[in-house]
Amino acid sequence: MPKVRSRLIVASTLLLLFAGASKAQRSAIDTYAITNARIVTVSGPVIDRGTVVIRNGLIAAAGANVTAPSDARVIDGTGLTVYPGLIDSYTNLALPEAAPSPSPGGGGGGGGFFLIQQQQRPAGGPNSTQPVGLQPEVMVEDVIRPGGAEIESARNIGITAALTSPRSGIWMGQSALINLSGETPQQMIVRSPVAMHVGFTPLRGGGYPGSLLGVFSTLRQMMLDAQRYRDSLEIYERSPRGTRRPETDRSLAALIPVIDGRMPVVMLANSEREISRALDLGAEFKLKLIIAGGREADQVADRLAKQNVPVLLSLNLPRRTTAALPEADPEPLRVLRERVEAQQTAGKLAKAGVRFAFQSGSMTNISDLLGNTRITIENGLQTADAVRAFTIWPAEILGVQNQLGSIEVGKIANLTVTRGDLFDRNGRVTNVFIDGRPVDIRPPAGGGGFGSGRNSLSGTWTVNVSLEGQGDKSITLSLQQEGDRLSGSISGPLGAGEISNASVSMGDVRFTASVNVEGQTKEATFSGRLANNEIRGNVTIVGSSPGTFTATRSGQPN
Amino acid sequence: MKRFIAKLLFIAIVSTIPLNASRAQRPSAPETLIRNATVLTVTHGTLQNTDVLMRNGKIAAIGKNLSAPNARVVDGTGKYVMPGIIDCHSHSMLDTINEGTLAVTSMVRTQDVLNTTDVDLYRELAGGVTTLNLLHGSANPIGGLNTVVKIKYGRPASEFLFPGAMPGIKFALGENVKRSSQPNQPGVTRRYPNTRMGVEEVIRDAFTRARDYKRTWDEYREAAKKDKNLIPPRRDLQLEPLVEILEGKRYVHAHCYIASEILMLINIADEFGFKIKTFQHVLEGYKVAKEIAAHGAGASMFADSWAYKIEAYDAIPYNAAIMTRAGVVVSMNSDSDERARRLNIEAAKAMHWGDLTEEQALKLVTLNPAIQLGIQARVGSIEVGKDADLAIWNGHPFSVYSRVDTTFIDGEVFFDREQDLARRPELAKERAALEQAEPNRPRTQGASPQTPRRRPSKHEDDDVEVEKP
Amino acid sequence: MIRTLLVLVICATSLFAQQIGNPTAQEGVMPPRGTIAIRNARIVTVTGPDIERGTIVIRDGKIEAVGANVSVPAGAQTIDGSGLSVYPGMIDAGTNMGLVEVPQGANGTVDLSEVGELNPNAKAIIAVNPHSAHIAVTRVEGITNTLTAPTGGLISGQAALINLLGTVPKEMAVVPQVALVINYPRIGGGGGGFGGFQQQPTNLAETLTQNERQVDQIRKMLRDAEAYGRAQDAYAKDKSLPRPDRNVVLEPLVPYVRGEQPVIFRADREAEIRGALRFAEEMKLKPIILGGNDAGKVVNLLKEKNVPVILTGIFSLPSREDDNYDSLYENAAKLQQAGVRFCISSGDAGPEVRNLAQYAGMASAFGLSKADAVKAVTLYPAQILNVADRLGSIEVGKMANLVVTDGDLLEIRTHIRYLLIDGRSVVLTSRHTELNDAFKNRK
Repeated sequence: MPKVRSRLIVASTLLLLFAGASKAQRSAIDTYAITNARIVTVSGPVIDRGTVVIRNGLIAAAGANVTAPSDARVIDGTGLTVYPGLIDSYTNLALPEAAPSPSPGGGGGGGGFFLIQQQQRPAGGPNSTQPVGLQPEVMVEDVIRPGGAEIESARNIGITAALTSPRSGIWMGQSALINLSGETPQQMIVRSPVAMHVGFTPLRGGGYPGSLLGVFSTLRQMMLDAQRYRDSLEIYERSPRGTRRPETDRSLAALIPVIDGRMPVVMLANSEREISRALDLGAEFKLKLIIAGGREADQVADRLAKQNVPVLLSLNLPRRTTAALPEADPEPLRVLRERVEAQQTAGKLAKAGVRFAFQSGSMTNISDLLGNTRITIENGLQTADAVRAFTIWPAEILGVQNQLGSIEVGKIANLTVTRGDLFDRNGRVTNVFIDGRPVDIRPPAGGGGFGSGRNSLSGTWTVNVSLEGQGDKSITLSLQQEGDRLSGSISGPLGAGEISNASVSMGDVRFTASVNVEGQTKEATFSGRLANNEIRGNVTIVGSSPGTFTATRSGQPN
Repeated sequence: MKRFIAKLLFIAIVSTIPLNASRAQRPSAPETLIRNATVLTVTHGTLQNTDVLMRNGKIAAIGKNLSAPNARVVDGTGKYVMPGIIDCHSHSMLDTINEGTLAVTSMVRTQDVLNTTDVDLYRELAGGVTTLNLLHGSANPIGGLNTVVKIKYGRPASEFLFPGAMPGIKFALGENVKRSSQPNQPGVTRRYPNTRMGVEEVIRDAFTRARDYKRTWDEYREAAKKDKNLIPPRRDLQLEPLVEILEGKRYVHAHCYIASEILMLINIADEFGFKIKTFQHVLEGYKVAKEIAAHGAGASMFADSWAYKIEAYDAIPYNAAIMTRAGVVVSMNSDSDERARRLNIEAAKAMHWGDLTEEQALKLVTLNPAIQLGIQARVGSIEVGKDADLAIWNGHPFSVYSRVDTTFIDGEVFFDREQDLARRPELAKERAALEQAEPNRPRTQGASPQTPRRRPSKHEDDDVEVEKP
Repeated sequence: MIRTLLVLVICATSLFAQQIGNPTAQEGVMPPRGTIAIRNARIVTVTGPDIERGTIVIRDGKIEAVGANVSVPAGAQTIDGSGLSVYPGMIDAGTNMGLVEVPQGANGTVDLSEVGELNPNAKAIIAVNPHSAHIAVTRVEGITNTLTAPTGGLISGQAALINLLGTVPKEMAVVPQVALVINYPRIGGGGGGFGGFQQQPTNLAETLTQNERQVDQIRKMLRDAEAYGRAQDAYAKDKSLPRPDRNVVLEPLVPYVRGEQPVIFRADREAEIRGALRFAEEMKLKPIILGGNDAGKVVNLLKEKNVPVILTGIFSLPSREDDNYDSLYENAAKLQQAGVRFCISSGDAGPEVRNLAQYAGMASAFGLSKADAVKAVTLYPAQILNVADRLGSIEVGKMANLVVTDGDLLEIRTHIRYLLIDGRSVVLTSRHTELNDAFKNRK
């Protein structure tokens, strides 16, 4: 396996070298013109019928009276609409898969204090003074990789650029804004670093901070330490003689632009209280704050507007995922309200004058993105604002408004071309340009408009099953999905056979299989959640101790 | 000193911004006159057929036949007015209670994890409770910082904060900090300390470090006057609250059970020159009541919980009476969202066991906890000029047959039984409508709902993390 | 003499302070029965009208006479009841009294739940500890009787109805095996407290499947017991049949599966209660519901099937966040209004059983009449446990379990002045009064 991979790398490097060498010669044909199209410039009025000219990766001209240059490849845009390329303002695109780790909170109770998990964590910054999770010096720039199915899926629905942020941690690290094409990480990056990212999930494994309480204190202490580090360096710089040299600290150094208000800080916060806490912390340290998530941001709209804090609003709209069961408790009113109100948040933020941009964030299925946008429009958001929230607003919030976000001469030629309106039920993305080049797109499977879903689970999965007292077992799961229907089989050290009672809904995956445990055949129920191309969840085996499982893709269908 | 004032100003400004902002949108509390009630003033006896006037959030007048033409009038005939109950040991509205990874967690602040939507707050209001002392759990000898709140359910967290309450901190001794209930796990080193000897050591070490920390800063400030190129010492959020304790600016609320550990903490405090403001639970306090009184500490306890663990086997319900008679300021607390709803009963128990007078017993859940939190100038009794935090009961609050009709905070109604009853059909209608909304409809191919989990009704001694929605 | 006694008490207390149990109050022989008369007291008979000023005569453990014009027999020990009230002793029908001393940190004192799921032969009366400190602590608050039950598995075992007085279990037992206790498989997890705690899947469909399997386990054992009983009977009549072996596990189930004795089902949620009623009907059992958080939602069915409820959890937080704040406070009133038979229990293992009066009082603050609140902790539990011929009211011929108070039985500020259990006058001391006496005057 390692051999195969290294060969692949060699091959692709050669390919890149070749591509780079030939690029200069081919620049002449990097000129395109989309003619006779409706042009939503975002920065100015909509041009009902006009031409957009792309040259050398940039927008060379756009207008009703623009004619296609003679050297351009002409695309007849009759019946098409050209938008600035859509920007997804919070993703983990182009990042390596997260290392599998035991699912959180399995044991519950106080026992967690002492549970030291021998889990393999992704390596953090080298020679860091801080444990993984508290390393602000981590930069996604160092780890992004071009290509991959997720990027392709995003492009298929018209996303041309994205903020990509580290996956986890308290000080999660620094994000980059990338174009969703390019053969090297260097080609993809539009701006890096864009922002520092903060999550509020405690460290696992028994270390401090092990609770939300400690998370806040740790954030504070490190910012105070960074202030002192900055001041110490200044003093030392002024008079090194006679002053003890401050110890070098990359983690604290990375925080200096943050506490100086030069680098924005993106804090993950969804509920009213999470957002309020982030606002409090931001005010305490005079941070340049951005909220990501923002499900209940409308409840704090006044404060957000007053403190001029923008929101990267997730379009992962909550929705009931469970079936009806008479023995179940009625769902809490709070939850019922939340789901309905989340659809109205975008419209309310727009009315309150809170700056925001849309993001796919924690969505399990990217193709719901535009369909969910339509829901926010049906719930009070102006369509024009919805377009802005995918274009100029994220560009402004993320500091790339001179490069992206509108169709203006000189900006990067990222364009999303549709037949029908972008958010229309029957709309369809026909062409996508990134950095002035067309990219191949495949319309979402199953026909219909946006948001009709795709076969996301079909394929072969490697499932690591961890059963209490019996260690880990690796089995193979092969799945076929058609709509909500799921079928397949397992094989490996727990036995082989068809799965039954299988279902998938909104990322929740369930199935039952017969397994051999302790010399007996027993029924095991797997129930987990799909996220980041991984299914994680619990295994219950009748008459046996429960366990957890993590399934990762080992092969695509066919 | 200048720094301190600047800091204070900063805090004052920061904390008033949201307050003013939200108050501006909200009309101030309507003037309310409670007419012809029995008023349990706590400090001036029980007044029959008396009126209480609330204006601008304060108690404006107490007397007979008061005139207030603009006031909303509440008929108090046959009813009792009692100061809002103050719970000196609560974990309500905290998203998490313990930072258990370290033995000293004085850097963590409960104020960072407030959840204003916790429905238990409403249930506590329905028990006549208006103020809570939100404490960190008891997983560490020196725990996190507390938050004193008024239960302004439905308002932003900033409006909950009790203005001017003394800052405090949680300490803990005994079984919980020894992690006695945690199983030994092979290959895992237990957290220090493991004995009451180690607990003493941890506290002594922390205060020794705090004393040095203060000296380091003092020396730096002095030296920095002459030398501008000095690198300042590190600001240490763990030690700063301990310096405040040494300076008498922060109250210590110490969870404890048995007599020996109580004496241990008194000795350390005496040695380092600070005071323990309250011993919490303090089940064996009755055995060392005179030492606690001599130190000047208060005691905040359960009325009659006992035998739930081996540390609690010598607990007796006469604890409050013995300690009160020894001169200790005593309060009854809940340490439980459940028990918090009936602290009136807990106070009355001190009349049953130990024969405290009615006034002494009333103080256990009003003026005494107010003293223990440094808020006695504002709440804890019904006096002109104090905050209009009170509840109207349909009978004497010490009667088991009584319940709360209305609870006021700063003159505003935060619970009213009539309103509650009237709202029930509306909520049912809202639910029916919401259940029809698309995102709430059950999915035909959906997963099974979760098995409902009943929430534990008691913490008993706050080491337990309680799951809340 | 008194001085010496006091010194003795103090010595004993400090000596035994950290020991498990009640060092002095339970020591020694039972107080004598004799003839006792309570004079000039207000008598709350519970079954009849209150007698404003009357006399009760007690002889050999039984109530011999009650009334306004009863004369005191010669030689009777008399208690002056002027200004005092006499009530029947309170009964808590949902405890584990005497089966656990300290639940945490002293496992050796915990005898609540046996290993395995099906333990009909586990009898509380075997393990109940007459010298538990909880017993005296509880009775001095006017509780004279408890149902004390094992908690484990599916079939927990058999509960005992005991007097809170006695040097050996036999002396305490009113009914040594009063009911079979079954934990109806639970739909709601967590909680704890009285009753078995079972590990549950987080997924409700799986929980229901697992519960069905557990109900099946119970069903199978009860059917086995039915068959066992039939075989034994048949053999008793016809010795020519093959002799069936005795089975200590099935044998105790026979009176329960024949509906001769009640079966207590622990069930709180609506679906659990409905499930338990369905199962009891199918198996022709005589069910009692213990718990009953959601009983208010099932009143029609409970009434129709005439199934009584031992209501616990009045002081619990409502289990769902949208529940009304008073949903458990007013539970008793709802049952009362619907005509469902019920009684009120602390549901506590031991330490808080002494607060039984407050649970009833709270129910009364939220709609239950005061008279019914008293009945809910005296007559009603006696009726539900089929001992109303002996306990639960002040009537001639009943066991003399009596409480003399200086006020309303349920009020917190009321003090118990005299206590009689089984006609014996009980000294009002406990581990707590002794520790109080030992330390209250420490200078």
